[in-house]
Amino acid sequence: MKYFSLVVPVLFILVFLFALFKKVKLYDSFTAGVKESLPLAFSLFPYLAAILMLSELFEKSGLSEMVTSFLSPAFRFLGIPPEIAKLVLIKPFSGSGSTALLNEILTAYGADSYIGRCACVSYGSSETVFYISAVYFASVKYKKLLKPVSIALFANFVTVVFGCFLCRFM
Amino acid sequence: MNAVFTLVFLASAMLCLVMNPDGFLDALLSGGQKTVTVSISLIAVYCVWFAFFNVLKESGLSEKLTRLFYPLSRKLFRSNDKEALYLATSNLTANLLGLPGAPTPLGIKATEKFYAAKNRYAADMLFVLNATSLQLIPTTVIALRASHNSAAPADILPATLIATLFSTILGALLVFLTSKRIRIRKRK
Repeated sequence: MKYFSLVVPVLFILVFLFALFKKVKLYDSFTAGVKESLPLAFSLFPYLAAILMLSELFEKSGLSEMVTSFLSPAFRFLGIPPEIAKLVLIKPFSGSGSTALLNEILTAYGADSYIGRCACVSYGSSETVFYISAVYFASVKYKKLLKPVSIALFANFVTVVFGCFLCRFM
Repeated sequence: MNAVFTLVFLASAMLCLVMNPDGFLDALLSGGQKTVTVSISLIAVYCVWFAFFNVLKESGLSEKLTRLFYPLSRKLFRSNDKEALYLATSNLTANLLGLPGAPTPLGIKATEKFYAAKNRYAADMLFVLNATSLQLIPTTVIALRASHNSAAPADILPATLIATLFSTILGALLVFLTSKRIRIRKRK
Protein backbone atom coordinates (compact mmCIF):
# COMPACT_ATOMS: atom_id res chain seq x y z
CA MET A 1 0.00 0.00 0.00
CA LYS A 2 2.89 2.35 0.81
CA TYR A 3 4.38 2.02 -2.64
CA PHE A 4 1.15 3.10 -4.19
CA SER A 5 1.60 6.71 -3.13
CA LEU A 6 4.86 6.78 -5.09
CA VAL A 7 3.11 6.29 -8.45
CA VAL A 8 2.06 9.88 -9.06
CA PRO A 9 5.29 11.69 -8.09
CA VAL A 10 7.44 9.15 -9.95
CA LEU A 11 5.23 9.53 -13.02
CA PHE A 12 5.60 13.32 -12.99
CA ILE A 13 9.36 13.21 -12.46
CA LEU A 14 9.96 10.67 -15.22
CA VAL A 15 7.81 12.48 -17.76
CA PHE A 16 9.25 15.90 -16.94
CA LEU A 17 12.82 14.60 -17.16
CA PHE A 18 12.07 12.99 -20.50
CA ALA A 19 10.48 16.24 -21.72
CA LEU A 20 13.57 18.15 -20.59
CA PHE A 21 15.71 15.71 -22.53
CA LYS A 22 13.55 16.37 -25.61
CA LYS A 23 14.06 20.13 -25.10
CA VAL A 24 10.43 20.90 -24.28
CA LYS A 25 9.95 24.29 -22.60
CA LEU A 26 8.35 22.95 -19.45
CA TYR A 27 6.82 26.17 -18.15
CA ASP A 28 5.22 27.05 -21.49
CA SER A 29 3.96 23.53 -22.02
CA PHE A 30 2.56 23.31 -18.50
CA THR A 31 0.62 26.57 -18.74
CA ALA A 32 -0.65 25.76 -22.22
CA GLY A 33 -2.12 22.58 -20.78
CA VAL A 34 -3.82 24.35 -17.88
CA LYS A 35 -5.51 26.70 -20.35
CA GLU A 36 -7.76 23.87 -21.52
CA SER A 37 -9.13 23.09 -18.09
CA LEU A 38 -11.55 26.01 -17.70
CA PRO A 39 -13.46 25.58 -20.98
CA LEU A 40 -13.94 21.89 -20.26
CA ALA A 41 -15.24 22.54 -16.75
CA PHE A 42 -17.63 25.15 -18.16
CA SER A 43 -18.97 22.80 -20.82
CA LEU A 44 -19.64 20.14 -18.17
CA PHE A 45 -21.46 22.50 -15.83
CA PRO A 46 -25.07 22.13 -17.10
CA TYR A 47 -24.88 18.32 -17.17
CA LEU A 48 -23.38 18.19 -13.70
CA ALA A 49 -26.09 20.50 -12.42
CA ALA A 50 -28.86 18.31 -13.86
CA ILE A 51 -27.50 15.03 -12.52
CA LEU A 52 -26.60 16.38 -9.08
CA MET A 53 -29.96 18.08 -8.59
CA LEU A 54 -31.67 14.91 -9.70
CA SER A 55 -29.73 12.69 -7.32
CA GLU A 56 -30.39 15.10 -4.46
CA LEU A 57 -34.10 15.13 -5.24
CA PHE A 58 -34.17 11.36 -5.60
CA GLU A 59 -32.76 10.92 -2.13
CA LYS A 60 -34.43 13.77 -0.22
CA SER A 61 -37.92 13.16 -1.60
CA GLY A 62 -37.84 9.71 -0.05
CA LEU A 63 -38.24 8.09 -3.45
CA SER A 64 -34.96 6.20 -3.06
CA GLU A 65 -36.23 4.88 0.28
CA MET A 66 -39.48 3.74 -1.32
CA VAL A 67 -37.80 2.05 -4.26
CA THR A 68 -35.35 0.40 -1.87
CA SER A 69 -38.06 -1.12 0.32
CA PHE A 70 -40.00 -2.11 -2.78
CA LEU A 71 -36.98 -3.87 -4.28
CA SER A 72 -35.47 -5.42 -1.16
CA PRO A 73 -37.39 -8.75 -1.41
CA ALA A 74 -36.01 -9.17 -4.93
CA PHE A 75 -32.55 -8.16 -3.70
CA ARG A 76 -32.74 -10.69 -0.88
CA PHE A 77 -33.71 -13.36 -3.38
CA LEU A 78 -30.57 -12.55 -5.39
CA GLY A 79 -28.40 -12.74 -2.29
CA ILE A 80 -27.89 -9.00 -1.80
CA PRO A 81 -28.35 -8.08 1.89
CA PRO A 82 -31.26 -5.60 2.15
CA GLU A 83 -29.07 -3.35 4.29
CA ILE A 84 -26.96 -2.43 1.28
CA ALA A 85 -29.85 -2.11 -1.19
CA LYS A 86 -29.84 1.66 -0.88
CA LEU A 87 -26.12 1.79 -1.60
CA VAL A 88 -26.63 -0.24 -4.79
CA LEU A 89 -29.38 2.15 -5.83
CA ILE A 90 -27.56 5.43 -5.07
CA LYS A 91 -24.20 4.46 -6.54
CA PRO A 92 -25.13 5.06 -10.22
CA PHE A 93 -26.21 8.62 -9.40
CA SER A 94 -23.68 9.98 -6.97
CA GLY A 95 -20.17 9.16 -5.86
CA SER A 96 -20.20 11.36 -2.76
CA GLY A 97 -23.66 10.12 -1.76
CA SER A 98 -22.63 6.50 -1.98
CA THR A 99 -19.38 7.13 -0.10
CA ALA A 100 -21.41 8.66 2.72
CA LEU A 101 -23.72 5.64 2.69
CA LEU A 102 -20.83 3.19 2.76
CA ASN A 103 -19.50 5.08 5.77
CA GLU A 104 -22.88 4.75 7.51
CA ILE A 105 -23.08 1.02 6.77
CA LEU A 106 -19.58 0.42 8.10
CA THR A 107 -20.41 2.38 11.26
CA ALA A 108 -23.65 0.47 11.81
CA TYR A 109 -22.52 -3.08 11.06
CA GLY A 110 -18.72 -2.97 11.35
CA ALA A 111 -16.12 -3.20 8.60
CA ASP A 112 -15.48 -6.93 9.00
CA SER A 113 -19.10 -8.09 9.12
CA TYR A 114 -20.65 -9.87 6.15
CA ILE A 115 -22.83 -6.84 5.38
CA GLY A 116 -19.87 -4.50 5.67
CA ARG A 117 -17.79 -6.62 3.33
CA CYS A 118 -20.62 -6.91 0.81
CA ALA A 119 -21.01 -3.13 0.90
CA CYS A 120 -17.27 -2.65 0.31
CA VAL A 121 -17.12 -5.04 -2.63
CA SER A 122 -20.29 -3.59 -4.19
CA TYR A 123 -18.96 -0.08 -3.80
CA GLY A 124 -15.51 -0.94 -5.10
CA SER A 125 -16.59 -2.89 -8.15
CA SER A 126 -19.27 -0.52 -9.48
CA GLU A 127 -19.22 2.99 -10.84
CA THR A 128 -21.34 6.14 -10.93
CA VAL A 129 -22.92 5.25 -14.28
CA PHE A 130 -25.27 8.22 -14.71
CA TYR A 131 -22.64 10.68 -13.55
CA ILE A 132 -20.01 9.30 -15.93
CA SER A 133 -22.46 9.24 -18.84
CA ALA A 134 -23.39 12.87 -18.17
CA VAL A 135 -19.74 13.91 -18.10
CA TYR A 136 -18.27 11.77 -20.89
CA PHE A 137 -20.93 12.56 -23.44
CA ALA A 138 -21.29 16.22 -22.38
CA SER A 139 -19.55 17.66 -25.41
CA VAL A 140 -21.31 15.39 -27.91
CA LYS A 141 -24.41 16.46 -29.80
CA TYR A 142 -27.16 13.98 -30.73
CA LYS A 143 -25.93 11.42 -28.23
CA LYS A 144 -27.47 7.97 -28.02
CA LEU A 145 -27.13 6.86 -24.43
CA LEU A 146 -29.78 4.20 -23.94
CA LYS A 147 -27.65 1.26 -25.03
CA PRO A 148 -24.34 2.05 -23.28
CA VAL A 149 -26.04 3.20 -20.08
CA SER A 150 -28.26 0.13 -19.83
CA ILE A 151 -25.31 -2.18 -20.51
CA ALA A 152 -23.25 -0.47 -17.81
CA LEU A 153 -26.11 -0.57 -15.29
CA PHE A 154 -26.79 -4.21 -16.02
CA ALA A 155 -23.11 -5.22 -15.75
CA ASN A 156 -22.76 -3.32 -12.49
CA PHE A 157 -25.86 -4.90 -11.01
CA VAL A 158 -24.89 -8.45 -11.96
CA THR A 159 -21.51 -7.75 -10.41
CA VAL A 160 -23.08 -6.70 -7.10
CA VAL A 161 -24.93 -10.02 -7.01
CA PHE A 162 -21.73 -11.85 -7.90
CA GLY A 163 -19.69 -9.82 -5.36
CA CYS A 164 -22.09 -10.58 -2.49
CA PHE A 165 -21.87 -14.23 -3.45
CA LEU A 166 -18.05 -14.07 -3.36
CA CYS A 167 -18.15 -12.45 0.11
CA ARG A 168 -19.66 -15.60 1.56
CA PHE A 169 -16.43 -17.50 1.29
CA MET A 170 -13.69 -14.96 0.47
CA MET B 1 -31.17 10.10 -20.46
CA ASN B 2 -34.19 12.31 -21.17
CA ALA B 3 -36.56 9.53 -20.15
CA VAL B 4 -34.64 8.72 -16.95
CA PHE B 5 -34.41 12.37 -16.00
CA THR B 6 -38.10 13.05 -16.61
CA LEU B 7 -39.26 9.94 -14.81
CA VAL B 8 -37.08 10.28 -11.71
CA PHE B 9 -37.59 14.04 -11.51
CA LEU B 10 -41.38 13.97 -11.79
CA ALA B 11 -41.79 10.98 -9.46
CA SER B 12 -39.57 12.61 -6.82
CA ALA B 13 -41.30 15.97 -7.22
CA MET B 14 -44.75 14.43 -6.79
CA LEU B 15 -43.63 12.53 -3.74
CA CYS B 16 -42.26 15.77 -2.30
CA LEU B 17 -45.61 17.43 -2.91
CA VAL B 18 -47.35 14.87 -0.72
CA MET B 19 -44.74 14.22 1.94
CA ASN B 20 -42.62 17.32 2.30
CA PRO B 21 -43.34 20.31 -0.01
CA ASP B 22 -40.62 22.46 1.60
CA GLY B 23 -38.00 19.85 0.86
CA PHE B 24 -38.37 20.25 -2.91
CA LEU B 25 -36.60 23.55 -3.35
CA ASP B 26 -34.12 22.64 -0.62
CA ALA B 27 -33.10 19.51 -2.52
CA LEU B 28 -32.68 21.40 -5.81
CA LEU B 29 -30.68 24.16 -4.14
CA SER B 30 -28.40 21.72 -2.39
CA GLY B 31 -27.92 19.97 -5.74
CA GLY B 32 -26.97 23.34 -7.23
CA GLN B 33 -24.61 23.98 -4.35
CA LYS B 34 -22.95 20.64 -4.96
CA THR B 35 -22.60 21.45 -8.67
CA VAL B 36 -20.66 24.58 -7.81
CA THR B 37 -18.33 22.84 -5.36
CA VAL B 38 -17.83 19.84 -7.64
CA SER B 39 -17.13 22.10 -10.64
CA ILE B 40 -14.52 24.04 -8.72
CA SER B 41 -12.77 20.88 -7.57
CA LEU B 42 -12.97 19.58 -11.16
CA ILE B 43 -11.25 22.72 -12.43
CA ALA B 44 -8.47 22.07 -9.91
CA VAL B 45 -8.12 18.45 -11.00
CA TYR B 46 -8.15 19.36 -14.71
CA CYS B 47 -5.49 22.04 -14.17
CA VAL B 48 -3.11 19.43 -12.82
CA TRP B 49 -3.77 16.69 -15.35
CA PHE B 50 -4.10 18.84 -18.46
CA ALA B 51 -0.77 20.40 -17.62
CA PHE B 52 0.78 16.97 -17.15
CA PHE B 53 -0.73 15.53 -20.32
CA ASN B 54 0.37 18.52 -22.37
CA VAL B 55 3.96 18.02 -21.26
CA LEU B 56 3.56 14.32 -22.05
CA LYS B 57 2.27 15.18 -25.53
CA GLU B 58 4.94 17.77 -26.37
CA SER B 59 7.70 15.44 -25.23
CA GLY B 60 6.59 12.94 -27.86
CA LEU B 61 6.16 10.28 -25.21
CA SER B 62 2.43 9.98 -25.78
CA GLU B 63 3.04 9.13 -29.42
CA LYS B 64 5.39 6.35 -28.39
CA LEU B 65 2.86 4.97 -25.95
CA THR B 66 0.17 5.01 -28.60
CA ARG B 67 2.36 3.14 -31.03
CA LEU B 68 3.00 0.54 -28.35
CA PHE B 69 -0.69 -0.08 -27.70
CA TYR B 70 -1.87 0.57 -31.24
CA PRO B 71 -2.39 -3.06 -32.36
CA LEU B 72 -4.44 -3.80 -29.27
CA SER B 73 -6.43 -0.59 -29.00
CA ARG B 74 -7.21 -0.56 -32.73
CA LYS B 75 -9.03 -3.86 -32.35
CA LEU B 76 -10.70 -2.97 -29.08
CA PHE B 77 -12.15 0.28 -30.39
CA ARG B 78 -12.35 -0.53 -34.12
CA SER B 79 -10.72 2.74 -34.98
CA ASN B 80 -7.68 3.99 -36.90
CA ASP B 81 -7.65 7.46 -35.42
CA LYS B 82 -4.27 7.63 -33.68
CA GLU B 83 -5.07 10.71 -31.59
CA ALA B 84 -8.37 9.28 -30.35
CA LEU B 85 -6.77 5.92 -29.62
CA TYR B 86 -4.02 7.62 -27.65
CA LEU B 87 -6.62 9.43 -25.55
CA ALA B 88 -8.64 6.26 -25.02
CA THR B 89 -5.67 4.08 -24.03
CA SER B 90 -4.33 6.74 -21.69
CA ASN B 91 -7.78 6.95 -20.14
CA LEU B 92 -7.75 3.20 -19.49
CA THR B 93 -4.20 3.31 -18.09
CA ALA B 94 -5.04 6.21 -15.79
CA ASN B 95 -8.07 4.22 -14.61
CA LEU B 96 -6.04 1.11 -13.87
CA LEU B 97 -3.47 3.11 -11.93
CA GLY B 98 -6.26 4.87 -10.06
CA LEU B 99 -4.86 8.35 -10.76
CA PRO B 100 -7.56 10.48 -9.18
CA GLY B 101 -9.34 12.66 -11.71
CA ALA B 102 -6.97 11.94 -14.58
CA PRO B 103 -9.19 9.59 -16.65
CA THR B 104 -12.08 12.04 -17.01
CA PRO B 105 -10.57 14.75 -19.25
CA LEU B 106 -8.99 12.08 -21.47
CA GLY B 107 -12.25 10.17 -21.69
CA ILE B 108 -14.26 13.26 -22.61
CA LYS B 109 -11.86 14.16 -25.42
CA ALA B 110 -11.70 10.59 -26.74
CA THR B 111 -15.50 10.31 -26.76
CA GLU B 112 -15.72 13.59 -28.64
CA LYS B 113 -13.27 12.34 -31.26
CA PHE B 114 -14.96 8.94 -31.63
CA TYR B 115 -18.34 10.60 -32.10
CA ALA B 116 -16.90 13.03 -34.64
CA ALA B 117 -15.68 10.02 -36.63
CA LYS B 118 -19.18 8.51 -36.30
CA ASN B 119 -17.66 5.61 -34.38
CA ARG B 120 -20.35 5.07 -31.78
CA TYR B 121 -19.06 1.58 -31.06
CA ALA B 122 -15.77 2.98 -29.77
CA ALA B 123 -17.48 5.65 -27.69
CA ASP B 124 -19.84 3.09 -26.16
CA MET B 125 -16.97 0.69 -25.48
CA LEU B 126 -14.90 3.37 -23.78
CA PHE B 127 -17.84 4.50 -21.69
CA VAL B 128 -18.79 0.98 -20.59
CA LEU B 129 -15.18 0.14 -19.69
CA ASN B 130 -15.10 3.29 -17.56
CA ALA B 131 -18.54 2.78 -16.07
CA THR B 132 -17.85 -0.77 -14.91
CA SER B 133 -14.90 0.30 -12.77
CA LEU B 134 -11.37 -0.48 -13.85
CA GLN B 135 -9.58 0.63 -10.72
CA LEU B 136 -7.29 -2.16 -9.54
CA ILE B 137 -6.91 -0.95 -5.97
CA PRO B 138 -10.03 0.57 -4.38
CA THR B 139 -8.14 3.13 -2.30
CA THR B 140 -11.26 4.85 -0.94
CA VAL B 141 -12.72 1.60 0.37
CA ILE B 142 -9.49 0.48 1.99
CA ALA B 143 -9.02 3.87 3.68
CA LEU B 144 -12.62 3.80 4.95
CA ARG B 145 -12.24 0.26 6.29
CA ALA B 146 -9.04 1.21 8.08
CA SER B 147 -10.78 4.18 9.71
CA HIS B 148 -13.49 1.79 10.95
CA ASN B 149 -10.91 -0.36 12.74
CA SER B 150 -11.06 -3.26 10.35
CA ALA B 151 -8.76 -6.13 11.33
CA ALA B 152 -7.48 -6.33 7.74
CA PRO B 153 -8.57 -3.35 5.64
CA ALA B 154 -7.17 -4.76 2.39
CA ASP B 155 -8.62 -8.26 2.66
CA ILE B 156 -11.59 -7.36 0.44
CA LEU B 157 -9.10 -6.82 -2.39
CA PRO B 158 -9.34 -10.29 -4.00
CA ALA B 159 -13.14 -10.30 -4.05
CA THR B 160 -13.29 -6.71 -5.35
CA LEU B 161 -10.70 -7.46 -8.01
CA ILE B 162 -12.56 -10.52 -9.27
CA ALA B 163 -15.87 -8.65 -9.24
CA THR B 164 -14.40 -5.64 -11.05
CA LEU B 165 -12.79 -7.82 -13.68
CA PHE B 166 -16.04 -9.69 -14.09
CA SER B 167 -18.12 -6.54 -14.58
CA THR B 168 -15.67 -5.03 -17.06
CA ILE B 169 -15.51 -8.18 -19.17
CA LEU B 170 -19.28 -8.58 -19.03
CA GLY B 171 -19.79 -4.95 -20.09
CA ALA B 172 -17.28 -5.14 -22.95
CA LEU B 173 -18.76 -8.42 -24.12
CA LEU B 174 -22.26 -6.93 -24.17
CA VAL B 175 -21.12 -3.92 -26.21
CA PHE B 176 -19.39 -6.28 -28.62
CA LEU B 177 -22.36 -8.65 -28.93
CA THR B 178 -24.99 -5.96 -29.38
CA SER B 179 -23.00 -4.31 -32.14
CA LYS B 180 -22.46 -7.55 -33.97
CA ARG B 181 -26.11 -8.43 -34.03
CA ILE B 182 -26.93 -5.11 -35.63
CA ARG B 183 -24.38 -5.79 -38.31
CA ILE B 184 -25.76 -9.20 -39.15
CA ARG B 185 -29.26 -7.83 -39.36
CA LYS B 186 -28.13 -5.16 -41.78
CA ARG B 187 -26.41 -7.70 -43.99
CA LYS B 188 -29.57 -9.75 -44.32
